Amino acid sequence: MKRDAAHLIAVALAAATVLVTLSEASAQPPASPLERFRQLEFSPAEENFYKAGWQDRVATEFDVINHAELGALRTALKDEDPLVRSIAARALGIRGDKDSADVLAELASLDSQYMVRIRAVEALALLKLKPEAIEAARKDKHLAVQWSANIVVRQAASEIDDAAVLRKAFAAGIKREAMGSAKVGQPAPDFSALTLDGKSFKLSNVLGKKPIAIYFAAFDG
Amino acid sequence: MHQQAQLRLKKDEVEKLGAAAFVVLPTDLFHAKVFTEENLLLGNGTGPFSKEISLVYATPLCDPAGSAAAMYGVSRKCLRWQSWVENEPSWFVIDKKGILTFAMQPTFATPTSYVDDVDKVLAELKKASE
Repeated sequence: MKRDAAHLIAVALAAATVLVTLSEASAQPPASPLERFRQLEFSPAEENFYKAGWQDRVATEFDVINHAELGALRTALKDEDPLVRSIAARALGIRGDKDSADVLAELASLDSQYMVRIRAVEALALLKLKPEAIEAARKDKHLAVQWSANIVVRQAASEIDDAAVLRKAFAAGIKREAMGSAKVGQPAPDFSALTLDGKSFKLSNVLGKKPIAIYFAAFDG
Repeated sequence: MHQQAQLRLKKDEVEKLGAAAFVVLPTDLFHAKVFTEENLLLGNGTGPFSKEISLVYATPLCDPAGSAAAMYGVSRKCLRWQSWVENEPSWFVIDKKGILTFAMQPTFATPTSYVDDVDKVLAELKKASE
């Protein structure tokens, strides 16, 4: 009898321990957008997402750009992971964080990864700061950096406020269930975009009125 | 990207169908304008598009956050400078009733070679206009 009671107490204690552990685990704050970005799987050879998990990447990029803390993004410019440095540079450019301009200029010239140098140069163009760093990037050792810098040097001098354009577009968010919702044989999903003069366009303005061909370009730099 | 430019070879037929054609550029506004108004990629070549003012055929649309692309399940799989690839798929055709009738990944080969994908798109546009 005593043995049964002892056993019951032991079981109860074990159950209580599990409950406390679960409770502590559930009390942990959710991972930050940057941490979730860090946990994404990227193919080592491919610049962009491919098949499995692309929705996670899209959703997390939106989250980083919309919600990551500025301090965390600035710190992430020195992260050891070049993909994290890249997304941080992009987010800071879009967010218009002028305080990060010096570090972005440093990355634009000194980062070992050309992808980070591109993102840093692009961010400076969005901020319209450090034109000398953008100009210097036009002579970068990597052709892709030169290519990007040759375009954004004009963007930096233009009157278009693309940081604001991007902020607005990202702020609109994206629903996970909407991603990949276009299916052959079903009604084409409506989407919003901008015309080149910055006006709003909705596919529904022409849907159901005439045949439509759409080509999604793959340019990303 | 180069491939949609080839649709210009069928421009008259597209217009005859009364079809709308859009090129969605997953970039900010400035880049969308540059890619539309300047033939940066092929302008220095000797291929059939080297003399074109612009590579973008049809109405260009700017998709700054990539939301439209994500909705259409398009993965922006573009290797920088290592090899050219296109989205998977890139082409979509929608009929007069608003039904998505066709999606295709291009058999993109080289920037200047003619590929018959544009013929397939045109054939689908014809069906979509019926």
